[in-house]
Amino acid sequence: MRFSFTDDQQAFADALRDLLTKECPPSLVRSVWEEHAGHAPALWNKLGEMGVLGLLADAEMVDTILLFQEMGRAAVPGPVVEHAAVVVPALGADPTYAGLLDGSLVATAAGFDGSPYVAHAAVSDIVLTPEGIRRGFTVVDLEGIDGGRRLASIEGGTTEPLPDGFDAAAAYDRGAVAMAAYLIGLGERMIDIAADYARQREQFGKPIGAFQAVKHLLADALQQVEFAKPVTYAAAWSMAPHEVSMAKALASEAAYRASRSSMQVHGGIGYTWEADLQLWMKKAWALNRAWGDPTTHRRRVSAHVLG
Amino acid sequence: MDLRETPEESAFRAEARSWLEANVPGEPLPSFDTEAGFARHREWEARLAAGRWSAVSWPAEYGGRGADYLKWLIFEEEYHRAGAPGRVNQNGIFLLGPTIMEVGTEEQKARFLPTMATSEIVWAQAWSEPNAGSDMAAIRSKAVSDGDDWVVTGQKIWASRAVWADWCFGIFRTDPTAERHRGLTFILIPLDSPGITVRPIAQLDGDTGFAEIFFDEVRVPKENTLGGEGKGWSVAMATAGFERGVSLRSPARFSEAAKRLVALWKRIGDPSDTALADAVTDCWMRAEGYRLHTYRTVTGMIEGKPIGAEASLNKIFWSEMDVRIHEVALQLLGPEAERMSGPDERWVDNFLFSLSGPIYAGTNEIQRNIIADRVLQLPKGL
Repeated sequence: MRFSFTDDQQAFADALRDLLTKECPPSLVRSVWEEHAGHAPALWNKLGEMGVLGLLADAEMVDTILLFQEMGRAAVPGPVVEHAAVVVPALGADPTYAGLLDGSLVATAAGFDGSPYVAHAAVSDIVLTPEGIRRGFTVVDLEGIDGGRRLASIEGGTTEPLPDGFDAAAAYDRGAVAMAAYLIGLGERMIDIAADYARQREQFGKPIGAFQAVKHLLADALQQVEFAKPVTYAAAWSMAPHEVSMAKALASEAAYRASRSSMQVHGGIGYTWEADLQLWMKKAWALNRAWGDPTTHRRRVSAHVLG
Repeated sequence: MDLRETPEESAFRAEARSWLEANVPGEPLPSFDTEAGFARHREWEARLAAGRWSAVSWPAEYGGRGADYLKWLIFEEEYHRAGAPGRVNQNGIFLLGPTIMEVGTEEQKARFLPTMATSEIVWAQAWSEPNAGSDMAAIRSKAVSDGDDWVVTGQKIWASRAVWADWCFGIFRTDPTAERHRGLTFILIPLDSPGITVRPIAQLDGDTGFAEIFFDEVRVPKENTLGGEGKGWSVAMATAGFERGVSLRSPARFSEAAKRLVALWKRIGDPSDTALADAVTDCWMRAEGYRLHTYRTVTGMIEGKPIGAEASLNKIFWSEMDVRIHEVALQLLGPEAERMSGPDERWVDNFLFSLSGPIYAGTNEIQRNIIADRVLQLPKGL
């Protein structure tokens, strides 16, 4: 038994972090929001070149799980989880969709988690649904809470058949576990942002991070994130449905807790548009429900445990 | 990453399982917080040691099996699965033992470890004092140098099973001019030394599981110093790290408790009560999360990443989970939860015991400070 990542898996994640530190700073995430772009094509192409978007055409989920966590840390806009974790494993082997591998064809996935909306439709060429592959659709833009995840309904276009042996349940599990890792990254980053703020902001003549009430808020948030990690990594390794559900439930809740605690630590600034924290918080709130909300996933664990 | 057992690990598991099946007492032993129960548990430890199962992670020369941490976790899973007795010498085997192996002299290892493995000598902790609880650096009990001896005077409290234990270990102020963390020395003391008085304290369940120890000019040879004069704080922190980390609270105990909770739900739960069903599931998820977290931590330790302040995350997690598992059980039990004796008394007993978890081994509030200061690098507040 060995519960650790290989040097290669870790090195790829480290390299991705370096890339995202340079190419996906908070200012980029903010500009995607403010320009209503929902997507950052230059960054997307770099992720494609690095191989992040197409890796799951033949790799195992456990090989890539840390990459989703890194993308969450950076709040990477656009359909990275849907494209890389769900659509590529389903369609990547088909030459028609070869563009998925380097990201020249952009895909999202919808309809697996009960939501009637299609996230990222406005920036995607194709939408994978449990009924078929939608192309050439018209997008009716809806206003979502996360500016890095444009929400829409789609109409018209064509629906091509799914590949033989397409397994919608497995696709759902892949989306859920990758989203869990992305949420862990979001949570981790929000705690870092709040800890930075708590070191700088002074009240009563000292940094607020010196007060136990502040320390304990962030320690509790960190605990939830840290305990969601091994559950998510183990789920990515086994892909057992109840483990995937544990991961998505715990990661969603951990990211939510991190958002609340981090906002509270920021005080009034946390309630502003100006603070970058909102870019992470709103994403955590949107993704809480994406690919199954915590209640749905807990019920699936419950069915496994209680019968 | 490979979460399957190796053939070697499976063989180790099978060996542990078959020994435990043949040897674990059919009836639960009386509580080791009572005199009779203490004696029975000491006998059990001797039996474990005879099978070389009392300290599996220790080297063979001191009575162990040289098992790595993963195998130790496997042993713990089998131990709890078998419903084997509590470990009466856990302060020795899991806390002091590893500390002696880390900082003790060869002579001390040879002198203390074999009798610890057999529980011929059972160890009690002597850390806290009436005015040094969470603020352990405030300790005042002193050891004054007199030739080859320390002369120890002072008072320790919350010393588990000190009423019946043979020796105690703790830190004492050896430099009266030094303050706080400095000038402290870690000393091992026989509890039958002249000048020692042990006063039992009845704990929440009424048993005298812990005690106060009064030291009145107790002479202790200096060869009983562990880790060097004045090094007491760092030695104690190493010991406390073992306590908060993986050594004392292996996941198996909570996995078994969560399994029993699920079984209780299946026996008496109302399937239409989805709130309680969710609470039971949540406990199971926490136990599973703790198990996976520990496997990850332990793999890291084997690969050379020492456990640091993250140990404090574990301590908060297991202690709060343990309370939660028992709260949910009592909710399920309804009126039966009021009975201290009866078919479900174990849940009530264990609920009381679980409440000690967030307090001992450093309160959870202190652990949160440690996480904030050392993991999140927030400014020191104390």
